[in-house]
Amino acid sequence: MPHENVHLSDRDLIMAADGELSSRRKAQVVAHLDACWSCRERMGSIETTISGFVRARNQELNDSLPSSAGPRALLRARLAEALASTAAPRAIWRLAPAASIFFTVLAAIAIIFGTTVNAEGPKPKAGLTPGETRPITIDEICRNPQAEVITVNIPEETRRKVFSEYGIDARADSFEVDYLITPDLGGAQSIRNLWPQPYGARWNAHVKDKLEQRLHQLVCEGKVDLTTAQHDIAVDWIGAYKKYVGASVPR
Amino acid sequence: MASTFWDKITGFPVATASTAARPSRLEEEVVSLFDQLRVPILRYLLSFRIPAPDAEEIVQEVFLLLFQHLRQGKSAANLQGWVFKVAHNLALKHRTRTRRYADRFSHLPDLSEVAGNVTPGPDERMEVIERQQRLLAVVRAMPEQDQCCLSLRAEGLRYRDIAEVLGMSLGSVANSLERSLSRLSRADY
Repeated sequence: MPHENVHLSDRDLIMAADGELSSRRKAQVVAHLDACWSCRERMGSIETTISGFVRARNQELNDSLPSSAGPRALLRARLAEALASTAAPRAIWRLAPAASIFFTVLAAIAIIFGTTVNAEGPKPKAGLTPGETRPITIDEICRNPQAEVITVNIPEETRRKVFSEYGIDARADSFEVDYLITPDLGGAQSIRNLWPQPYGARWNAHVKDKLEQRLHQLVCEGKVDLTTAQHDIAVDWIGAYKKYVGASVPR
Repeated sequence: MASTFWDKITGFPVATASTAARPSRLEEEVVSLFDQLRVPILRYLLSFRIPAPDAEEIVQEVFLLLFQHLRQGKSAANLQGWVFKVAHNLALKHRTRTRRYADRFSHLPDLSEVAGNVTPGPDERMEVIERQQRLLAVVRAMPEQDQCCLSLRAEGLRYRDIAEVLGMSLGSVANSLERSLSRLSRADY
């Protein structure tokens, strides 16, 4: 009997079941399985385990799935909104002279009556978090078109140190330690590039994510140079949001 | 229009640079992809123990990013992998933000609860439930990367796509699945 003492590995069997073997190796595995009852039995038990896992997983998770009608309608609305928000500037541009007069008058009224809008939210302290970059080229930043979101985990010890520097209780649930210059734009994994960002602020981490995505896009399209993007997000990210996302309030 | 990888695996034509100028059609394409991939992505996010409403919001964000991605005329190759990669990254971000709450999340129906709701029936039914509980307990005890590999494979991703989503080598994906299935096998018998 062939292959009496040389059985297939589990790895070969799993990859064969998944169709991931090279054609040459696949032919060898099939030939072995034809001849070896032990390996066929093992293959069968692997398939049984896979089907058991899939059934258990689907039963657990499918019960939690909301219906699709609402989310589908919501996505359609958001896509329409995304289209409108990019189409809008052309229409608004025609109204620019009138709008500029309107906003000038509004600003004057605000100054005269001492109106202030204090909705900026907390900012990173320049002394503690000036923003630090690492050497990186545009090619490296833009090489992967799928890099809309890059996540770099921050070690717990570093998080505690950031909280300590900012005088915040490390057990606080209401802050996220975030990069000032996102790694996506060449930000360094340095404590001088980290700050505690409150969840509850109007200008929060979700809003900053949108700025980061926008700047990544502009840098890769060559519309903003990398140094300017890094500088602007480090010095005043809220101002950068208003400038690059084109909205005076968080979206 | 030249066929793309996505055309080949789904029979569904996706946007290319030439369609970027026709946003209404692009909207329809993104919504169609949403219809095809929403449930697999939701299941993947739920397996991260992300609450269902948050998972649904992440799915929305993923498809808005996809819309922008295609609108800019970027590559439409392997959009399934692209969508899972972005969903994975957003899930990690979400978890970072809710890290301190993570251990308190227990939104998913535990199969022990399911078992409690089952009217006592044939022994076979109870055996099935016990087996499922056992397998899921083994999965929850695995390292996170192994859980991710297993979930992505269960959602139909090929090894190369899993490697791309998780930033691993092909060999590491194969090792991870072998390790996980070996643990599941031991618990299964």
